[in-house]
Amino acid sequence: MIAEIGLFALILALLVAAVQASIPLIGAARGDAVWMSLDRPSAFTQFCLVAISFGCLMWAHVTSDFSVLNVVQSSHTDKPLLYKITGVWANHEGSMMLWTLILVLYGLAVSIFGRDLPPALRARALAIQGMIGFGFILFILLTSNPFLRVDPAPVNGDGLNPLLQDPGLAFHPPFLYLGYVGFSMAFSFAIAALIEGRVDAAWARWVRPWTLVAWCALTLGVAMGSWWSYYTLGWGGYWAWDPVENASLMPWLAGTALLHSSIVAEKRDTLKSWTIFLAIVTFSLSLLGTFLVRSGVLTSVHSFANDPKRGLFILLLLGIVTGGSLILYAIRAPALKGGGLFAMVSREGGLLFNNIVLSTAAGTVLLGTLYPLFVDALNLGKVSVGPPYFNIVMVPLMLPMIALMAIGPLLAWKRGDLPHALSRLKFAGAATALTVVATLLAAGISTRSLLAGIGLGLGVWLFFGSLTEWAGRVHLFRHSLADSLHRAWHLPRSAYGMTLGHMGLAFVLIGVAGSQAWRTEYLEVMQPGDTATVAGYQVKFLGVEENIVGPNYISARGNFIATRNGRLVADLTPERRMYANPQQPLSTVAIYTNLVSDLYVVLGDPAGHGGSVVHIFHNPLVPWLFFGALVMVLGGIVSLTDRHHRIGAPRRRIDVRPVMRAPAAVATAPVGAAVAAKPRYNWVTVVPLAGFIILAGFLVWRLYLVELGFAPNLIPSVMINRPAPTFDLPALADGLPGIKTAELQGKVTLVNFFASWCIPCREEHPALPLVTQAGIRLVGISYKDRPQDAKAWLDQLGNPYKAIGVDLYGHAGLDFGVYGVPESYLIDKHGVIRRKWTGPLTPDLIRDEVVPLAEKLAR
Amino acid sequence: MRLRAKISIILASAALVVTLWSGTAWAIRPDEILADPKLEHRARAIGTELRCLVCQNESIDDSNADLAHDLRVLVRQRLVAGDSDEQVKQYIVARYGNYVLLKPPFMAETYLLWFGPALLLLCAAGVAAIYIRRVSQTAQTAPLTDDESRRLSALLGDAGRKKEDS
Repeated sequence: MIAEIGLFALILALLVAAVQASIPLIGAARGDAVWMSLDRPSAFTQFCLVAISFGCLMWAHVTSDFSVLNVVQSSHTDKPLLYKITGVWANHEGSMMLWTLILVLYGLAVSIFGRDLPPALRARALAIQGMIGFGFILFILLTSNPFLRVDPAPVNGDGLNPLLQDPGLAFHPPFLYLGYVGFSMAFSFAIAALIEGRVDAAWARWVRPWTLVAWCALTLGVAMGSWWSYYTLGWGGYWAWDPVENASLMPWLAGTALLHSSIVAEKRDTLKSWTIFLAIVTFSLSLLGTFLVRSGVLTSVHSFANDPKRGLFILLLLGIVTGGSLILYAIRAPALKGGGLFAMVSREGGLLFNNIVLSTAAGTVLLGTLYPLFVDALNLGKVSVGPPYFNIVMVPLMLPMIALMAIGPLLAWKRGDLPHALSRLKFAGAATALTVVATLLAAGISTRSLLAGIGLGLGVWLFFGSLTEWAGRVHLFRHSLADSLHRAWHLPRSAYGMTLGHMGLAFVLIGVAGSQAWRTEYLEVMQPGDTATVAGYQVKFLGVEENIVGPNYISARGNFIATRNGRLVADLTPERRMYANPQQPLSTVAIYTNLVSDLYVVLGDPAGHGGSVVHIFHNPLVPWLFFGALVMVLGGIVSLTDRHHRIGAPRRRIDVRPVMRAPAAVATAPVGAAVAAKPRYNWVTVVPLAGFIILAGFLVWRLYLVELGFAPNLIPSVMINRPAPTFDLPALADGLPGIKTAELQGKVTLVNFFASWCIPCREEHPALPLVTQAGIRLVGISYKDRPQDAKAWLDQLGNPYKAIGVDLYGHAGLDFGVYGVPESYLIDKHGVIRRKWTGPLTPDLIRDEVVPLAEKLAR
Repeated sequence: MRLRAKISIILASAALVVTLWSGTAWAIRPDEILADPKLEHRARAIGTELRCLVCQNESIDDSNADLAHDLRVLVRQRLVAGDSDEQVKQYIVARYGNYVLLKPPFMAETYLLWFGPALLLLCAAGVAAIYIRRVSQTAQTAPLTDDESRRLSALLGDAGRKKEDS
């Protein structure tokens, strides 16, 4: 019953969204105040309905209602209550519900805080929000209904992946979505402004705090994800440039750019068209992230169960949202006139530079993430773009920006005085030079310590640069201390926000530089009583306590004590857990931190006699990285409490300057018709649209391939048309010949790699005699299998092979380029590999592909 | 075709499940480590640049898949045999193709990838430059009216320059 109420509420919410998306918009176009006034009540109603629906889903999860499929798939009665609650969004359907809930929450926020907004602007913005809501609710209802029932209901559920049963990951999605979806505010208001053809400081002033909210949440969400990956995955790292991570980084970079350009738009009434563009791009990148994670077009370590149909729907949404808004942008943006004049060296200039770099960075991450798709689409083979690429291109891009981050805030608006700003940074410069020299002296002269020195130096530069800026504002050491304190107290909070935000980044940079350069690692089998020495710590392994019972797991706990110079520093107890439902192993990491560096201990596989594989990392300055992220968020929050954000929603001044060339038209015509009078086109504003169309085309093509069944991770062999590698493999058993390369000559041969442990091989096996029947010589290679197992397997299922070679260690497999058994290679009379099949051969495949090609080669 | 592809998807998803389920995949095992720390250091550096083929975007150093183990051992064998870092990578590329390189080689197919960031930067800077020029041009085309000139000289005359807040 509850689930049906949830579904019903969601359907009603869809209808309300339809009303919200249309009536206020039409009202605004016709200047009909009554129709426009429907925006707030419908946003409120929509929120209530989605909240009811979400509440019903949560109820089903908390009460473990296993007649609901979604609960069955991701819950179990033995799960602690916290993870029953957070389990709601630990699956695709539930996370989309959370997405939608947050979207309508922002809609509600507009209706509450936006009471004083110009009615037409608010009506239009809420209508856009309504459209997005309509799209996502429809998406849930059509492709991802979380309220589907199962009949008969199972006694218990499948449980939740233990990796997700963690506080870090439990709260990572809500913050991430608060960020992603929060950018819908800037987006909706950008579209509303484009429709109105008017962007003024009042608009920017409304958009800026909401961008700030979204930015804070996204920063926290990304940092939490990284932190989670650091302390649960046991790899000692925190960022892997995985496509899913990149999906969250792109909107962050674009959102950070938006945050800064909206400052210029608000304070100086300029860069407006650019700010609008960034608002569109940021939200589009959020949608793109949602798409990439769920569609299956990219392979990633952590993504949702992929479904091309869902992918197609989100892509369609992305096409409408982004394509539509870019069309609108291309038409309307040329009419938005830039306001204030500024010199290259000025605060505006600095912020513009920040924007250039950040958008280039976002574009670079997009390029690197999607490049493998492009190359594949153009049939140029397969490439991988991984961490080494991103490190190489991102570092030189970000470092100059960080260097200039200390200078920009010291420049005045309109026209800055660079020599003066630099002379104020004397102290910061000296501290930076000192840091670099000290680093090189302490760590020795090498590329690594030079890079570390530059990273640390820039962190110090930015930190003291920000401090200098603050000191200048409070006139520190210029008058009395009391005067400075007085000024410090009355300094706008947004100024503190900036200082904290920039200092936070300085800490992050120091953390990255330190951990990249000086991470040390220890990996050994340890027996109880053994001591490992890692970065000055003595870590003694006392032993493993078995069978410790947790709420829904049994764990083996390793006991370690860390000492330094003979003094006890910490007890460390990493665990090896076995969860009951689902049956999955999980290791938990033990971390000792002294706030400068982390000692990070992972308990690996048991190694006999109470011993265990132990992996210990010493990660210098990693705590600074996460601390820095928190400081950045704090900066955002402090800025958000600034007085000028709190004194109610901005009002438009009466004497607002229309941005149109024809002021008379704006004054007299109904608001919506204002711009249509004089469309001017500008090639620059059409470029993004063209870029998006190409991008969307590639994604559609990719989805189509996934839908057709071409697995994106099928790797073409480079061995085709090359002679078979040299090998000489011993026979599996007496009476069966072995095989060596020379014997492949003279007759068309199919070489089949198999193993008794390989499940698809079992599926393939009955089809293999068809190969022999077609007159093709079939040769088997027993791949990384114990000979007795392989023999028993063939005794049981029959032996279709003319000869079998034993490749005990997989060396021949590596030479052939085998990456997953079963694999089959068709080799011609001259011993040249002509074709490769990965995965089991089926009768159809043998009839349609193997035999015809073999016959052709035999001629 | 369809069936095979479906099976490959099942295989791929099985691989995904394995990578996720094994959770804490510190991939390298103690028995793989070379006695010579210099060689081992080189092996680790190479390992982070090679992709594990059966995994989803993991290097062979980060993966606990069986194939990744084999490749790590192979890397070390080649290093011990005296290969240079480049030779080791080429040895594996010869068998598995450029796909294994997490840092794609610089070639015609990847020009856009490697030049892309610089192109983006140039475009962004170009648009910004055009913008600044246009703004200053439009500003120049509007001369002061007589009234404005009078007010300006009056303002400059008495109060001096008032400092812009923040």
